[in-house]
Amino acid sequence: MSGEVRVEAAAGCHIFSGCGFPAPGLENFYFKPLFTVGSFGFTKPMLVAVICTVLVLAFFAAAFWKPKPVPRGIQNLGELAILFVRDQILRPSLGRKGDTYLPFLVSLFYYIFLMNLMELIPVIQFPAMSKIGFVVAPVAIVYVLYIYLGFKNQGAWGYIRNMWPSGVPIFILPILIPIELLRFFIIQPFTLGIRLFANMFAGHLLLTIFMVATWYLASLSIGLLFAFGSAVMVLFVFLLELLVDILQAFIFTTLTATYIASSLEPQH
Amino acid sequence: MAADLGRSRRRAQPSADEGSAALGLSTGWAVFSYLISGMIAYGAIGWGIGKAVHAEWLLPVGMIVGMAISVAYVIHRFGRQGSVEQQFGGAKGTRAGARGEGNDR
Repeated sequence: MSGEVRVEAAAGCHIFSGCGFPAPGLENFYFKPLFTVGSFGFTKPMLVAVICTVLVLAFFAAAFWKPKPVPRGIQNLGELAILFVRDQILRPSLGRKGDTYLPFLVSLFYYIFLMNLMELIPVIQFPAMSKIGFVVAPVAIVYVLYIYLGFKNQGAWGYIRNMWPSGVPIFILPILIPIELLRFFIIQPFTLGIRLFANMFAGHLLLTIFMVATWYLASLSIGLLFAFGSAVMVLFVFLLELLVDILQAFIFTTLTATYIASSLEPQH
Repeated sequence: MAADLGRSRRRAQPSADEGSAALGLSTGWAVFSYLISGMIAYGAIGWGIGKAVHAEWLLPVGMIVGMAISVAYVIHRFGRQGSVEQQFGGAKGTRAGARGEGNDR
């Protein structure tokens, strides 16, 4: 049963009316296709991803289509948005030489932030990053760039040599190589993506549980008191999620900046 | 308005603390990755050998050995005073700092 069907079925369900609590679960993350083209179904999370991409493009295009030396209107906002990423994320890790990567990091940060923020926007109310497939794409882009820059700046041999653990006796190296290989190729990209996915998944589920509970408990009984408590929790979780949305985008982009920095310069 | 923005932009320049925060975040996740990697890598090796010689107990032994190797390596690599800054090459905890680059515009 898809999320929408379940919500419709639970619409008339309240405490003491004979039906149990329609607890949200995994089905809330699956949607009926909005339309299909052959065997391909275009779903709500895909629509959210398209909306976020268009919003990021439209915002920065509107801000810098005809930039003026003294910024006015939306250009002010655009400059503040870029300066935030530059001064809080890029410069601390990469310094001024890293400004080449500013467009990439700005796009990445605001795309992820908007994708996360969509869970709090009425009607949409779904963070596309709570579907693992939408996280895999930015992680793959970041990792391909990370490895490409490493090879480009340090050379193939230099890059592989710098991946070796330094300062350890040579007979210890074979013991550490399996750990290094697994960390570099599997665990590091996995932790980069899974953190974002798990936070958005759990946040959306938590918010849905309290929203459904508020509706379920709302009846002319003692349940109304509990419904009020649940509604307060909705507000609390809403504000918490606002913080998590920006924090996760920030962490993802900061780690991307440090990965790029380690590719530009060897760590050892 | 423009003057206010100018002031806010000057304030927004990164400090050494912000550089340290980025470095700390990166180091924290690197340590976490090492601990998980050691456990999985040597757990898999233990499982493979255990499968071959019919000794299932080699899986938990491998995981514990992997965890021990990871902990030792993490202490060696990140545990010493100033070792993180040395590895990333920054006196103030930033790579940028190590290159002697200012954060001015």
